[in-house]
Amino acid sequence: MRKIIHIDADSFYASVEMRENPELRDKPIAVGGSSDRGVVATANYEARKYGVHSALPTARARQLCPQLIIIKPRFELYRKVSGQFREIFSDFTERIEPLSLDEAYLDVSDSPHFGGSATLIAREIRRRVREELKLTVSAGVAPNKFLAKVASDWDKPDGLYTVAPNQVAAFVKTLPVSKINGVGKVTTEKLKRMGVVTCGDLQEVPIEDLARRFGKYGPRLAELAHGKDDREVKTSRIRKSISVERTYSQDLRSDEELLEAMDTVLEELAERFGKIEQQYLPTKRFVKVKFRNFSQTTLEELLPDRSAPWLDRAEYQRLLLSARARRPLSVRLLGAGLRLAPRNADEADQLSLFEGLD
Amino acid sequence: MKFTISRDALLKPLNLVAGVVERRQTLPILANVLMVLDGEWLSLTGTDLEVELVGRLRLEQSSGDSGEITVPARKLVDICKSLPEGCEIEFAVEEGKVTVRSGRSRFTLSTLPARDFPNVEDSIGTHKVTLLQGQLRRLIDRTAFAMAQQDVRYYLNGMLWELHAKGLRVVATDGHRLAMCSLDSDFPVEENKQVILPRKGVLELARLLQDDGAEVAIVIGNNHIRATTDDFMFTSKLVDGKFPDYQRVLPRSADKVVIGAREELRQAFTRTAILSNEKYRGVRLTLGNGAMEIVANNPEQEEAEETVTVEYSGDGLEIGFNVSYLLDVLGVVTSEKVKLSLSDPNSSALLEEPEDGDSLYVVMPMRL
Repeated sequence: MRKIIHIDADSFYASVEMRENPELRDKPIAVGGSSDRGVVATANYEARKYGVHSALPTARARQLCPQLIIIKPRFELYRKVSGQFREIFSDFTERIEPLSLDEAYLDVSDSPHFGGSATLIAREIRRRVREELKLTVSAGVAPNKFLAKVASDWDKPDGLYTVAPNQVAAFVKTLPVSKINGVGKVTTEKLKRMGVVTCGDLQEVPIEDLARRFGKYGPRLAELAHGKDDREVKTSRIRKSISVERTYSQDLRSDEELLEAMDTVLEELAERFGKIEQQYLPTKRFVKVKFRNFSQTTLEELLPDRSAPWLDRAEYQRLLLSARARRPLSVRLLGAGLRLAPRNADEADQLSLFEGLD
Repeated sequence: MKFTISRDALLKPLNLVAGVVERRQTLPILANVLMVLDGEWLSLTGTDLEVELVGRLRLEQSSGDSGEITVPARKLVDICKSLPEGCEIEFAVEEGKVTVRSGRSRFTLSTLPARDFPNVEDSIGTHKVTLLQGQLRRLIDRTAFAMAQQDVRYYLNGMLWELHAKGLRVVATDGHRLAMCSLDSDFPVEENKQVILPRKGVLELARLLQDDGAEVAIVIGNNHIRATTDDFMFTSKLVDGKFPDYQRVLPRSADKVVIGAREELRQAFTRTAILSNEKYRGVRLTLGNGAMEIVANNPEQEEAEETVTVEYSGDGLEIGFNVSYLLDVLGVVTSEKVKLSLSDPNSSALLEEPEDGDSLYVVMPMRL
């Protein structure tokens, strides 16, 4: 059973602007284009009371709420904050799929934190975002992406909602079909005409009928109606380093023991790095040593020639011996690794046609 | 149901219809092709629930027994294809199976009942126009390459059709580049209509347009589009979404105008592409008076450099592009020369035929 968290920042652009300029608090604001052709990207909750919402033409928003303060988007800033979100997430899992600057799926199935409790991890993420970034995010916890996304919206803003595996059946029974991502106005209306309002109703419709009416989406709807969704959390994270660590049941004392242990660690590192070598260039090598008293030290050095093979046992051994020489103690943990640069680092990015439009 | 048909008459429509059938289906019957014999008319239907294609042909010997059945598409195609050219094939439904006979060969295929075969839900067409297959084919050929593939912005995985009284305009974009082609015509259209065809629908439709001089009738409804020719009826669901406002991204202030020989540029880009990063395909263009320099580097520190003579006078400019995007455009444009309009290294480039072109291409640069 997987454990997925969906994190969704509350009125993200607007919240960041309010944080930057506290005078805006309690005032209706919208981030977006201010020209007559502009549209609202995000409105804060104060503005939403007037019916202002994202994708609304700015001119219309002004009619609904004459005192609306319209702020030009600062994407650089939002991107920076988004990166800070990500840093917090990455303390709990490597498996992060960002959907946009303010939204991400996290797969914490294998996370060792909080005894593996996804709900506690989500609570901690929310607490840290609030304290470190002065922003609020809503979180949904569920066995798959579909339900996690529904759940994050459940108590929004500033909410946390969990759909545990044994609650899925009951949860979807009464869940309105309009909550399914992809079921918009048109599909909701079509379903309503078939007498389908909740996912429970939808479960009763034969899959053939759904296929006939909704095409490809029909069979998918049938799965979602049962709260089933096998989509993986797709990570496209850029690694900064890769390393292998070993903790030993008996402390290592002699140089021979250490060097022998290092060989095994290096073997595993070579195997793991081999899988991603196509995408990354090693820039530095490092070793980590944790001593009997739990103090630890890391030694790293630049790889002088990036085109030479990175796996040089003699170099790692030399680093290891200088690292362990820093304390007159036996060693309980040994690690070896590489700092990485994406192979395309100097290619940088393809610019987008619709920056800020979507 | 029972009838006889020549292999060669059957093969082409059967092949096209089976092309719509996907290899992996959500419902078993979607692997099948629906065969309906009505008097002397045989129709074949394949569907993936998004795109439906019906091929119609007339039996030479009109001595068939009417009826309907569905049979595995792939296997039927393979059997018909491997039978000798010029042979006759006899189909007969017997006890829930289809028997295919030809000469001394006999095949018995499983079937599923025709009544279970899903048809794309009909919706009433609101816009009807007729144009030449060659005209429609040109619109698609000139732009289809720019459609997105499996993008989360699902409305980009398709092609925008904009129908108005003065013609039909199509637009495709993957968010990095955009292609647009317009057909001027007099259409009996009162209200403009914008729809998005799904990627697969566009590609399948293009395959059907094989007779440039023949007509194709297009009917657009709220959820579907239908294209009908003498031999086929093609229906595709439309993508329910909002296509980005392409007018906003057409460059208007590009003041650095370069005109170059299309084929010469294409070859120079093709060669430099060899030493560009395989994944990101970046090339650097340096513009000077009368010449454009094209440079590519890869992670192995190899380098390609080309200099092409162009018509240009103005300030120098250095700008990076994904060379594939440029090559895609130069590959579909046919004019002898091509016009490239630029402004600065962070703004989009406009590519077009220098005179009277019907197509327009916008490419965003890469930061190098």
